[in-house]
Amino acid sequence: MIDYEYLKPASLDEVFDLMKKHGSKAELVAGGTDVMVFIKQGNHSPEVLISLRGLTDLCYIQKNSAYHIGALATHRMLEQSQLVKEELTALQQGSSQVGSIQVRNMGTLGGNICNAAPSADTAAPLLVLDAVAVLQSPEGQRRVPIEEFFIGPSETVKKNDEVLVEIEIPSEMGRFKTAYCKHARRQAMTLPIIGVSVGILLEKDVIADARIALTVAAPTPIRVRQAEDFLKGKPFEEGVLKEAGEIASSPECCMPRDSLRCEGWYREEMVRILIPRVAMAAVEE
Amino acid sequence: MAEYQYIGKSIPRTHETDKVTGRAIYIDDLKLPGMLYGKILYSSYAHARIKRIDTTRAKKLPGVRAVLTGFDIPDVRVGFIKDQTVLKRDVVRQFRDEVAAVAATSPEIAREALDLIEVEYEELPGLFDPFEAMQEGAPLVHELDARGRPLRTNILPLPWKFSAGDIEEGRRQSAYTVKDRVATTWVNQCCMGTSGCVADFDANNNLILYNQTNVIFGAKQRITDYFSKIGLKGKKIRVKNVVVGGSFGTKLDTDIYEFICLQLALKTKKPVKILFTREEEFKALPPRQPAIFNIEQGCDKEGRLTFRHAEAVLDNGAYTSWGVTTPSVMMTPMSSLYRVPNVFFKAVCVYTNNIYCQAMRGYGTPQATFAVETSMDRLAEEAGFDPAEFRMINRNKAGDITPMKLKITSCGLQECIEAVKEKLQWDEKKGQQKDRGVGMASLIHVAGGARVYKSDGHGIRIKVDEDGSVDVISGGTDQGQGSFTVLAQIIAESMGFTPDDVSFTIGDTSLGLWDAGTHASRHTFVAGNACILAAEKVRRQILEMSAELMPRIIQFGLKRRSRKDKDFQTPDLDLSLLSDPENLDIKKRMVYLKSDPDNPHYQVDVTQVLRQGLHVGTGESKTVMAEVFYDPPTQMLDREFKGNYSMTYAFGTTGAEVEVDRGTGQVKILKLVAAHDVGQSINPTLIKGQIYGAAYTGVGYALTEEIKVQKGKVMNPNFRDYQILTARDRIPVEAVLVEKGDEDGPYGAKGIGEPGLVPTAPAIANAIYDAIGVRINELPITPERVLDAIKAKEGDEAC
Amino acid sequence: MKKVSISFTLNGDTVSAEVPPTWTLLKTLREAFELTGAKEGCGVGECGACTVIVDGQTVNACIYPVPEIDGRHVTTIEGLADKEGNLDPLQTAFLENNGVQCGFCTSGMIMSARSLLDDNSSPNEDEIRTAISGNICRCTGYVQIVESIDIAAKKA
Repeated sequence: MIDYEYLKPASLDEVFDLMKKHGSKAELVAGGTDVMVFIKQGNHSPEVLISLRGLTDLCYIQKNSAYHIGALATHRMLEQSQLVKEELTALQQGSSQVGSIQVRNMGTLGGNICNAAPSADTAAPLLVLDAVAVLQSPEGQRRVPIEEFFIGPSETVKKNDEVLVEIEIPSEMGRFKTAYCKHARRQAMTLPIIGVSVGILLEKDVIADARIALTVAAPTPIRVRQAEDFLKGKPFEEGVLKEAGEIASSPECCMPRDSLRCEGWYREEMVRILIPRVAMAAVEE
Repeated sequence: MAEYQYIGKSIPRTHETDKVTGRAIYIDDLKLPGMLYGKILYSSYAHARIKRIDTTRAKKLPGVRAVLTGFDIPDVRVGFIKDQTVLKRDVVRQFRDEVAAVAATSPEIAREALDLIEVEYEELPGLFDPFEAMQEGAPLVHELDARGRPLRTNILPLPWKFSAGDIEEGRRQSAYTVKDRVATTWVNQCCMGTSGCVADFDANNNLILYNQTNVIFGAKQRITDYFSKIGLKGKKIRVKNVVVGGSFGTKLDTDIYEFICLQLALKTKKPVKILFTREEEFKALPPRQPAIFNIEQGCDKEGRLTFRHAEAVLDNGAYTSWGVTTPSVMMTPMSSLYRVPNVFFKAVCVYTNNIYCQAMRGYGTPQATFAVETSMDRLAEEAGFDPAEFRMINRNKAGDITPMKLKITSCGLQECIEAVKEKLQWDEKKGQQKDRGVGMASLIHVAGGARVYKSDGHGIRIKVDEDGSVDVISGGTDQGQGSFTVLAQIIAESMGFTPDDVSFTIGDTSLGLWDAGTHASRHTFVAGNACILAAEKVRRQILEMSAELMPRIIQFGLKRRSRKDKDFQTPDLDLSLLSDPENLDIKKRMVYLKSDPDNPHYQVDVTQVLRQGLHVGTGESKTVMAEVFYDPPTQMLDREFKGNYSMTYAFGTTGAEVEVDRGTGQVKILKLVAAHDVGQSINPTLIKGQIYGAAYTGVGYALTEEIKVQKGKVMNPNFRDYQILTARDRIPVEAVLVEKGDEDGPYGAKGIGEPGLVPTAPAIANAIYDAIGVRINELPITPERVLDAIKAKEGDEAC
Repeated sequence: MKKVSISFTLNGDTVSAEVPPTWTLLKTLREAFELTGAKEGCGVGECGACTVIVDGQTVNACIYPVPEIDGRHVTTIEGLADKEGNLDPLQTAFLENNGVQCGFCTSGMIMSARSLLDDNSSPNEDEIRTAISGNICRCTGYVQIVESIDIAAKKA
């Protein structure tokens, strides 16, 4: 039988106290769109749920010397933010394709990242944007590049006494043209068969810098550095982008699995096909 | 065409305001005092021997009122060919086998109790491939038949074989032939309201079953039969529907959970509700029957079909519901879609340890039509005809009697094909576009009842009260199609009342007269005809009453008026004209003189007649009421599966324009035209709703939907991984109504509940071929399959 | 199980209840307040039949932890008609344009549409389709639902 105590701390300090008090019996919940489902399906059975919704001061999207997104910013906030749409386009595209509007109204960026699904719609954009996860514990803060944040399906480097408080994106990433493609069988309420995000920094017609990230291509969201390196310094043209797709889809870069939703060969093929398309879309935006 | 008041008008569904205000009571919402909640424990294996079941711990859980296993209830067989028991106690043959059940004071407690039931199994090897299961020497899914006789094969003893003409002669006449193998898979009906019922026995063990069935009397018969075997013979059974959250075939049969619910209610002497979760809906409810066809067709040089030869293998799963009867309905398109003189069709149903199947919208015809219509396209190409032209050459026509002895009395197929051609700009686009293509497919389906039971009738009762309110009790059901509105229009039109006057009580075996069920797209046709006949009777009664009373009412009115108004000129009226009911009629609740319809002095409000005519005095008072039972004059299919089993047949053509992404294999539908011969629309908006909804489900069948079954287990029992289309998956669908009228239909109407779905998948498959030159022979046409086929073709061309 | 006290605004009225903390908003609405318009179609936020509006935003009530509802404003399908029972234009439009068939998705569908029209009084077709893309319907193919919402928007 589902049975837990639901705690609603109003501050981070309270959260830390409760986490300390309840230890491994407790689980953090933000929007609840994943955790509540896990509990209902019997996959999680925490004795205590510590809600982060009371931390309303972690619900922001700001730009100063960097972009700062509070961990409790909802997908819907990101979707509707003009700033995110214009300067962090891929993230806006990723956020706007999470679940449904109902889910996006509840679900948070922090939750999406901490849940660490290999298919998370915000993960590839955040990888492309060089995002940094800001983790806080009673001892202080540490900053983990998002690429190091994911260590396996549903596994992150976040320690049991830590709370993800912010996603920070370096301001120079705002100069990149970015895009995200969620490749799925239908247009809403679905998980990607493969997720591809590309960021391109163009100087004249030359690719000065590039980022390519994939989801569902490996046990965690990944960056494809070989393909990124290949692009750097090359002209922005179709042949070059296709070559990047070939590199990224090679077994050295990604090893998509056969799964219920899709066969591995098709995912691999989509990496190859979609990278040039997403790169084009990013620049055309 | 006659000038109708309500027929052909898009009357709003105001009878169903409760549905938009949250007040409508579905099975989910029904709560009886003291009601308990039932849950079912399913098998952990696809095939296993049950060695031990221990319910001790579950019984001790506070709140648990009953725990049942197969050892606690009579071991009675149920189902279409009585091949399963309600709770399995020896062997489980599929993952959804019901092993135990719990009734508790809350669904949560019942669910927890399931976890406390210990079942020890000895796993047995499973059979998951029908072809393997057909092999001689394959292990048997069932060792005994319903009578306890040993079985030697997994092939079900069902007679699905149809033959007409001479196939060999057809072959000889053929200039061109094509042969192919096509496959369709399991798809779920996906009713938004999940399955469920509430069983409530009184102190004498008489039952009220609150239900969602389409076939209230069928459900009652099956329960009666079950009762007779469990010692409850003679107990009264009332099946009573609540508002139904969709059906699409799921509510034709009585499912095992319903028998379990009865047993839990009997045991606890309390009302018990069983309501499926979505996961159960996917795992424990029989879906659409899959079928694999080998189909061969031929035509002569002029493009006339010479023969059609098809053999199907159906993975029956471990038990039988209506799924195994789909071949009897497949015979309609197999034998009668287009004119084809020589036909052979055979279907083999094979037991496996997979899930078993039941009805779903279209009932076998979507599968068979996918086979026939993709084959038609191939044959057209082989013979060098445009696919549309090829279909026109072979189209059915009114007056035809098909090889199945179906009498085609009205047929709008030509108009449907023409409409699709025009709407798609077929001649400009066919074969002309890069990565874009057009395709079409047609259908035939029963549209005037379907005599699958001895009675294909529908009973209706109408009474009219003195205030002019019309109460109708129908033995039918509504699962969302809008029968209240459509039948109210028919009754209002026939009686001269308004649709707002008409109220319905439906879905109750104690009140309604027999109805064969709201299935087979038969309700508007059969119930509509019953409504017309009953409405005619009450109209006649009112007119007879009017003939008696109107002269007096009018005279009285004139006198009163002249008393009040000195200047009033009493008109010169021949009131004797009113004394003959033949001279009278009713329109918009006014009784009027037919020979002088616009003269207000010859008109009386029907309620005036009713008030004075109904409650008269001792021995003279009356009621206005009628009971009608309409059973269409059709035939049962004979032993060769021939006979005119429906009064009329629906035809339609769906055309699709698609764009295929060669990189990803994704198919985008640019336009879908669904042209249907509906006879006469009673309510165009509601008809279009049927067509749009069915077409969408058809697109899902074509492109996205499949129940993934691995070694008997449903792997995607949720809406996340079973992908039905969302509103963002925009399909620009246009419905074209071909209205030529049908002489036997109510006001000329034919059934339209299922047809919209049927030709959708083959139309899309054919359009994909036109776009990229590859044929996908297996549903759903996923991007993986398309890309795979493109690559194979490119590989072939490179060689 | 220790219950939690919740107090919130439900369709304009201040209400309170003591419920188990494990209950969802959907269960609370249906059981504690006997408002059964919101339906459970899947129970895991994948169909939208349970959609209600919380503080101006649609949510899946089936996965909304009820302790979070304390102090918030909830509107359900039962709260759309005015106190005299005059239907919301969306409700009328759904009846008039066959936006409702079996009706099981209808409550949630109308709530998603209501939220859309509250934010955007003249949505285009894409915006309508996006707004209801979290609400699955098996009967209609969405065509007449989209039409109903469009008509309601234009009439308002």
